[in-house]
Amino acid sequence: MRCRIGVYVCMCGSNISDYVDVEKVREIAAENPCVVLAKTTMFACSDSTQKEIIEDIKVNELNAIVIASCSPKLHLFTFRNVAERAGLNPYNYVQVNIREQCSWAHSDNPKFATLKAIQLVKAGIDKAKNSVSLEPIMIKAEHSALVIGAGITGMKAALALANTGTKVTLIEKEHYVGGRIAQWNRLFPHNDPAEKLVKTLYEEIIINDNIYLYTGAELISKSGSVGNFIVKIKIKPRYFKSGYLIEQCIEKAIESCPVEFDDPFNYGLTKIKAIQQNHIGQFPYYPVIDMSKCTKCGICTDICADIDLEQKEEELELNIGAILIATGAESYQPPSGEFGYGVIPGVITLQMFRRLIDLNGEKLIYNHKQIKRIAYIYCVGSRQYDGENQYCSRYCCTAAVHTSLIVKEKFPEIVNIHLTRGVRTYGKQEILYNKSNLQKDIYLQFDDTPPEISEENGMINIKVVDILTVKKTIELDIDLVVLVTSMVPRKNKELENILKLPIGRDKFYNEVHPKLKPVETMIDGVFIGGNCQAPMNISESVKSSLSAVSKMNALIGKGEIQLEPSLATIDKSICVWCDECTKICPSDAIIKTEYNGKPVAEINEANCKGCGMCLPVCPTNAIQLIGYSDVEIESMIDALASYSPEFTI
Amino acid sequence: MGENQKIPKILVFSTEKISDPAIDLAGLLKKHYPPTVYVVNVPCSSSVKPKWILHAFKKGFDGVFIAADGSDCQYSETCTFNTGEIVRKTHDLMKKKGIEPSRLKMAAICSVCSDPFVKQMKSFIEALI
Amino acid sequence: MAYNYSNINDYDVLVIGGGIAGIEAALNLAYQGYKVILVEKDLSIGGKMIHLSKVFPTLDCAACITTPKVSETARHPNIKIYTYSEIKDIEKLGERYFTATLVQKPRYVTDACTGCQLCEEKCPVVVEDEYQWGLVGRKAAYIPFSIANPRIAAIDIENCTFCGLCEKVCAAGAIDFTQEEKRSTIVVKSIIIATGFNLFQSERLSYYGAGKFKNLLTSMQMERQLVPTRPYNNVLRPKDGKVPDRIAYVLCVGSRDKSLGNPICSQVCCMYSIKQAQLLMGALPMADVTIYYIDIRAFGKGFDEFYKQGVGMGVNFVKGKIANISEKENGDLILRYEDIDSGVLKEATHDLVVLSVGILTNPDFEKLFKTTPLLKDDYGYVRQVSELLSPSKTSIDGVFVAGTASGPMDIPDSILSAGAASTEASVYMKGGAS
Ligand SMILES: Cc1cc2nc3c(=O)[nH]c(=O)nc-3n(C[C@H](O)[C@H](O)[C@H](O)COP(=O)(O)OP(=O)(O)OC[C@H]3O[C@@H](n4cnc5c(N)ncnc54)[C@H](O)[C@@H]3O)c2cc1C
Ligand code: SF4
Ligand code: SF4
Repeated sequence: MRCRIGVYVCMCGSNISDYVDVEKVREIAAENPCVVLAKTTMFACSDSTQKEIIEDIKVNELNAIVIASCSPKLHLFTFRNVAERAGLNPYNYVQVNIREQCSWAHSDNPKFATLKAIQLVKAGIDKAKNSVSLEPIMIKAEHSALVIGAGITGMKAALALANTGTKVTLIEKEHYVGGRIAQWNRLFPHNDPAEKLVKTLYEEIIINDNIYLYTGAELISKSGSVGNFIVKIKIKPRYFKSGYLIEQCIEKAIESCPVEFDDPFNYGLTKIKAIQQNHIGQFPYYPVIDMSKCTKCGICTDICADIDLEQKEEELELNIGAILIATGAESYQPPSGEFGYGVIPGVITLQMFRRLIDLNGEKLIYNHKQIKRIAYIYCVGSRQYDGENQYCSRYCCTAAVHTSLIVKEKFPEIVNIHLTRGVRTYGKQEILYNKSNLQKDIYLQFDDTPPEISEENGMINIKVVDILTVKKTIELDIDLVVLVTSMVPRKNKELENILKLPIGRDKFYNEVHPKLKPVETMIDGVFIGGNCQAPMNISESVKSSLSAVSKMNALIGKGEIQLEPSLATIDKSICVWCDECTKICPSDAIIKTEYNGKPVAEINEANCKGCGMCLPVCPTNAIQLIGYSDVEIESMIDALASYSPEFTI
Repeated sequence: MGENQKIPKILVFSTEKISDPAIDLAGLLKKHYPPTVYVVNVPCSSSVKPKWILHAFKKGFDGVFIAADGSDCQYSETCTFNTGEIVRKTHDLMKKKGIEPSRLKMAAICSVCSDPFVKQMKSFIEALI
Repeated sequence: MAYNYSNINDYDVLVIGGGIAGIEAALNLAYQGYKVILVEKDLSIGGKMIHLSKVFPTLDCAACITTPKVSETARHPNIKIYTYSEIKDIEKLGERYFTATLVQKPRYVTDACTGCQLCEEKCPVVVEDEYQWGLVGRKAAYIPFSIANPRIAAIDIENCTFCGLCEKVCAAGAIDFTQEEKRSTIVVKSIIIATGFNLFQSERLSYYGAGKFKNLLTSMQMERQLVPTRPYNNVLRPKDGKVPDRIAYVLCVGSRDKSLGNPICSQVCCMYSIKQAQLLMGALPMADVTIYYIDIRAFGKGFDEFYKQGVGMGVNFVKGKIANISEKENGDLILRYEDIDSGVLKEATHDLVVLSVGILTNPDFEKLFKTTPLLKDDYGYVRQVSELLSPSKTSIDGVFVAGTASGPMDIPDSILSAGAASTEASVYMKGGAS
């Protein structure tokens, strides 16, 4: 038992001391015979107090410390580190939460808050008495990473990892890298050509010795843990053999393929065959057969000897230190009828509209009609009143405004009418909005009443209650309605299940903390970058994935990782090998071994996550979780239970 | 309700990654709940030993509440079931000892469920008075 | 003046600016094993963020997030911090090195200072406290603010009367009036510019009466009124110390205005105003809070939800640009604006008005380089030469930009931008083209 304890009661400026009588708490803590020193402090976390605590530990030869302050979520590591710097084992430090769970929770009743704080600190002191010194567990880490998704975000991250010495496996579910960015052709804010961007990255990737790129590849299983993941990857065939003769016959093969369907890349504005070549801006420059459509008629095999319709999937197993998820997002697909979508022919999404602009020459023609007046309806699928997408999609205002500039440049006679909910061209993007105003685009704004859309004789009519003109109902005759659709989380159930990804309220993958750990997930070693975390534009996605790279390099770059030592332990002398714990352990961390000639259970430390699920199922109470042992928990309960008579109604 | 009636005491087993943030959030947003609610952290709600719960009753706690990870559990999808089993087993043990089973409750508290937590605490205290 | 030059060449990366972006970049690089020298011109690191109250959209307290990062930086073995110091004359040295001059200004207090504040107590000189945005006074011998890092006093030599009281009272003997400016030459492989932003000076707008009307605050002053270590123990009207009950926010002050030379949107003021409004409603449950806006730009993760939360709490949102402000005898302020909802010119009286001032570039970075200048963009920020693919790349190879030095952005974005800068610097140092 530890009996030279230092106690610090933090005021947190006034966050705690406004409600809790910290001096009283300190006094009572000081009465405990094992408490050598008890102090109050303005900010326990400040550098000067940290220094003071270190001095105290050294001078008074403290063997445990208790800090009553904010939630351990914020400062556990700060103070463990303080202990360590003073030569005290960090696990002999106990943090008591008297802010979030006391002063703030009971700010309505300072007297009770003080009483509660006293008991919490008492319990903390008892926990400190029973605390044991622990050493971190070091595990070997593979200096290699898996990047899932080869859009711009994933490709850029892969290159950055590779160029800082990490081996990278980059996998892309589709047969081509670049995502669908090429659909946008020109990118805001500076009109960079999308194709060139993707091409630059792709070309750098294929000559980089540190990157292995697999297209048509998906993660199918993951085991192991941070530093030592074992992942299995399934690679779909392209149905082409060696390849170098393809150029001579592929065009003819595509021509002869009898299966034709709407090209999803162009939203059905053009057709595509079951055997297909990449679009501009997609790589590699290499054909593929879409087996979900192919009828195996065999016509193409007669034309190209390189085609092999019987090619099989391959599987690959890899050892990986860390994983970056860069799977991006999808565009919202409006249900039939939303603003006339799917019902009225002249209603299309922004994505499709961008293809339409590119595919048209001098005049903008849709459905055999020349388009002269366009209405953009903003926030479709975002900021929903009743739907589940409460969030703003961040990129779409700028994307729509930018599109209107492109339209005006290519088709100067067209009138752009924007029906917004307040234009959110934040930051420097405001300049695009200014330009759109200068080119005399019309801006109307609706609020809780969404615009009504109807059609008569091929002309679309929109009724909108415009809050910019005293809520007047304005009627517009329009040739084409462009729905500025939101970004929605990509449907990726399988991947989510394999990696057990935490999903946020908005259904995007959740970071641990937006400011402290914005690219980390709750699963150690699994990082998120770009649109899979939240809607954002390209530059922002790249920033986020490059941030993840920096955290990944810090984690696995040294070849070993320090792990928390709070794992389960089994007292073999009382284990009766009933097998209950092995059945319940979710991490495959309990193995059978022998002790004094009898079979017993043992913990495999590398696998144990310290969840403690095995604790309650053991019939002989042979399992203890380090840091949560019976003595520690029960002594805390004892201290908390000691009744303080003032707690009355 | 008498003037000097004691407020019942509740011990909450809360998990570090899921329910603790919610309880912290309740504080952050100054959503008040009775001060006789005490929280002890565990890594996962499926790690609470019946022995600890009985110990709490023996030492004078009026109620024990397990803030379960439910489907948010980081460790296993079986968590909801496992925690339920712990409660079931403990209820049996409580009956044998003559402790009213309603003094042990469990409910899933997600990491942003500060409102449900406060509601749970208020109604549990009400029920125990 | 002859300087005592010394040479410092034990570092890989020079980070200029110790705000959240500079700190994050320094930490990222240090954890990857690079040696970092972090130079901050102010007396403490932490930038603007360390002075904020709570931060949107999670409403966690700014100091609670900054202080752990600040102390992590201060104690990291791979980071050396120079506060109250500046960088000059950066030049390329060969292909892959830079030289620069480090200027350490004298603070007239040595490292022996224990932060006991006795000198502060004794000092007879009172001046405006810039760390409380002029809301209260401070002494000429002073600790910059309670959570400053390092927590060492400094003497404001311009206002000091050399009475010598501080020297007498300091038990540690830390006061040293003989300190002089020190200069050293440093050699590094890469540089990160994280010099942050300046706030728009609202005094430039005579029609708002900023600087004239007492009950007109800037948002930064309001931040200080809302922090736990606030100067007064409550939110008060500066004119008469009364608790305000009709508070107004004027958005886009100094932003989105070509005539002021700042046509762009400041990206954070909508959100911080909504945040402050929510905090005010918590602090003063009886008060009415009205936000006068042009557009509400609640675009980030959780932002629109945060905006709705504000609406739900009862914050009044009025769409309309404030034309001018005038003062009544009792200190109340009259706002004249075109109410978009009704289309008529209206007046509203408030007893406290907060100007949500915009973010401007801090042009300091232009003075850092000796021969080849670092290029700026149309709005005066560090030019991002490859905004989409390499967002932290600048016009000089090996020099990267992090945080608001490249444009207005909030804290989460500043942190990600710093992450990008550190990765790109690392790629560059490994010899890659980035
Ligand atoms: C009133 C207000 C409220 C806000 N509230 C929020 C909020 O709630 N949530 C949120 O996310 N964001 C908020 N923000 C935005 C936030 O403040 C910024 O995003 C963030 O501080 C930017 O950090 P930075 O490091 O880029 O810049 P800064 O904080 O400005 O840091 C730059 C640092 O560089 C130093 N420096 C400058 N020049 C030099 C030089 N030549 N040599 C050496 N050092 C130099 C400066 O002294 C400073 O320490 C708010 C902003 C304001 C104005
Ligand atoms: S970015 Fe604009 S269009 Fe997109 S959801 Fe936000 S406000 Fe609506
Ligand atoms: S963020 Fe809001 S207040 Fe600030 S400049 Fe942009 S629109 Fe105006």
